[in-house]
Amino acid sequence: MAKVVILGAGIAGHTAAAHLRRQLSKEHEVLVVSPNRNYQWVPSNIWIGIGRMEPKDVIFPLEPLYKKKGIGYKQAKVSSFHPEGSDTEHKPFVRVEYVFGEQKGIQEDITYDYLINATGPKLAFDLTENLLPGTNKTYSVCTYDHAAHAWSGLKDLIGKLKNTNTTARILIGTGHPKATCQGAAFEYILNVEQELRRNKVREQVELTWISNEYKLGDFGMDGMLMRVSGKPMKSDELVEMVFADRGIKWILGAGVTKVEEGKAFYENLDGEFKTEEFDFAMLIPAFSGHGFKAYDKANKDITEKLFKGFMIVDADYSSKPYEDWTVQDWPETYQNPTYQNIFAPGIAFAPPHSISKPRKSKNGTDIFPSPPRTGMPSGITAKLVADNIIDSITTGSESRKHKGSLGNMGAACIASSGYGLLQGSGISITTFPIAPDYKKYPESGGRDLNKTIGALGLAGHWVKLSLHYAFIYKAKMKPFWWLIPE
Amino acid sequence: MAKKISRFEKFVMKNPFIQFYMFLYLNVKILSVVAHGHGGTR
Ligand SMILES: Cc1cc2nc3c(=O)[nH]c(=O)nc-3n(C[C@H](O)[C@H](O)[C@H](O)COP(=O)(O)OP(=O)(O)OC[C@H]3O[C@@H](n4cnc5c(N)ncnc54)[C@H](O)[C@@H]3O)c2cc1C
Repeated sequence: MAKVVILGAGIAGHTAAAHLRRQLSKEHEVLVVSPNRNYQWVPSNIWIGIGRMEPKDVIFPLEPLYKKKGIGYKQAKVSSFHPEGSDTEHKPFVRVEYVFGEQKGIQEDITYDYLINATGPKLAFDLTENLLPGTNKTYSVCTYDHAAHAWSGLKDLIGKLKNTNTTARILIGTGHPKATCQGAAFEYILNVEQELRRNKVREQVELTWISNEYKLGDFGMDGMLMRVSGKPMKSDELVEMVFADRGIKWILGAGVTKVEEGKAFYENLDGEFKTEEFDFAMLIPAFSGHGFKAYDKANKDITEKLFKGFMIVDADYSSKPYEDWTVQDWPETYQNPTYQNIFAPGIAFAPPHSISKPRKSKNGTDIFPSPPRTGMPSGITAKLVADNIIDSITTGSESRKHKGSLGNMGAACIASSGYGLLQGSGISITTFPIAPDYKKYPESGGRDLNKTIGALGLAGHWVKLSLHYAFIYKAKMKPFWWLIPE
Repeated sequence: MAKKISRFEKFVMKNPFIQFYMFLYLNVKILSVVAHGHGGTR
């Protein structure tokens, strides 16, 4: 009998738990440890942030589902890793602390045969001075409650604009010089723009995009060349066309370092220190590791064997210049090299480097996007980790047959750019591979032009909405859920 | 200078009948790009 412990129940953790449970016989234990009692379909938070969905539309409670499916669940958070056990416990274990109910505050050591760390990122608001969602007129859409809060701030502003005929400034983008998740902020600014038009206050608002990207449409993926209506087009040209059409201004190469009531302070690549004022802002924070600690059998700190901010996996972490980066640097099995029964799919693994070209301001400040790891790769990497563990358990010999490098994996980025069955719109981009392979595709910016396409229009909104329903159906493990791909 | 979205392009982007076919095309494309395999690089 084997015991698989999964830390985190986001897209990665929940996907891994679902596949493990479906394919492993009941004699094997599958246990999920996660502090949030709800599963949330994060990509739809955008629509909560404009009041078109409510948190209840994107979440459901995990415990009843796990009970029904035979998956163990502890509402707790992991605090330390003990991959060699201790002097009193011969098996490897993680120390967790309950966060809810009668057991709140109580610590427990949970042993495992296989461990999947799918704890995603820490939303590091603390890395930008005074950037706290709901304060200083600044909001976030990174969680469903943040997004609901953002909507209440935006609704108040729209109400004020309607009643007073005054003007306002809205600032949306990245809130840290090395933030990622530009795609989510991009979706939000376009949705906000449409809501302002729907409420007939668009003319009163100056809407500005602020980002650490060097060019528009970088999205932390070094931009991309794609086929749009059969013709090659760069992502910066596409985004510029959309922003110009929607009357959105932009500030690029901007590293926001501090926020005050209605003011964002940033440094740009020219080394200038500037301020942008706003009446409402949505700024994505830096994503960092959770700061977990790890100890060996003798209780000696071995954190550096497991973590480099995020968890160390089978990537090539040697430092080399941008020109020497290759797709081979990216991990394939998400397995920790020292403790081979530990894996980290989704956002939890430490990337070897960024995908976008690193840039410094004239003052030496790093200002460029960190690599994004979106929902689809999070699900795919979680499934391949689960498949390797399933093979290892069922065959009795360690399997690493299932592989998936970001350099050999596609992604679909369906950016909603307005809500509504007939009034909605979306920007659909498929990219292959996610990390550009400049050797294989030297003529097309590292991407396969037959698989990297862009399309604008209502269909994109329908796709995003159908993905919302399909992925929630899948996450609820309804009949034949596994037929829906990650 | 940003490329402008023409009136005709806007018509295509908003027309539900054309977009229905686009919807089908996008679903097939997404499935072929995302679900159609992934692997290692080494
Ligand atoms: C607003 C927004 C919109 C997005 N839109 C899209 C989109 O349209 N398409 C797309 O592909 N991607 C999108 N993404 C990205 C996508 O949501 C992420 O890639 C995905 O959620 C990552 O999954 P994950 O499981 O690795 O991490 P997470 O979803 O962050 O899950 C981490 C889990 O770990 C748990 N956890 C945290 N700390 C601990 C601890 N100490 N112990 C145990 N558990 C812990 C958390 O509670 C959570 O359950 C969007 C992201 C945002 C923020």
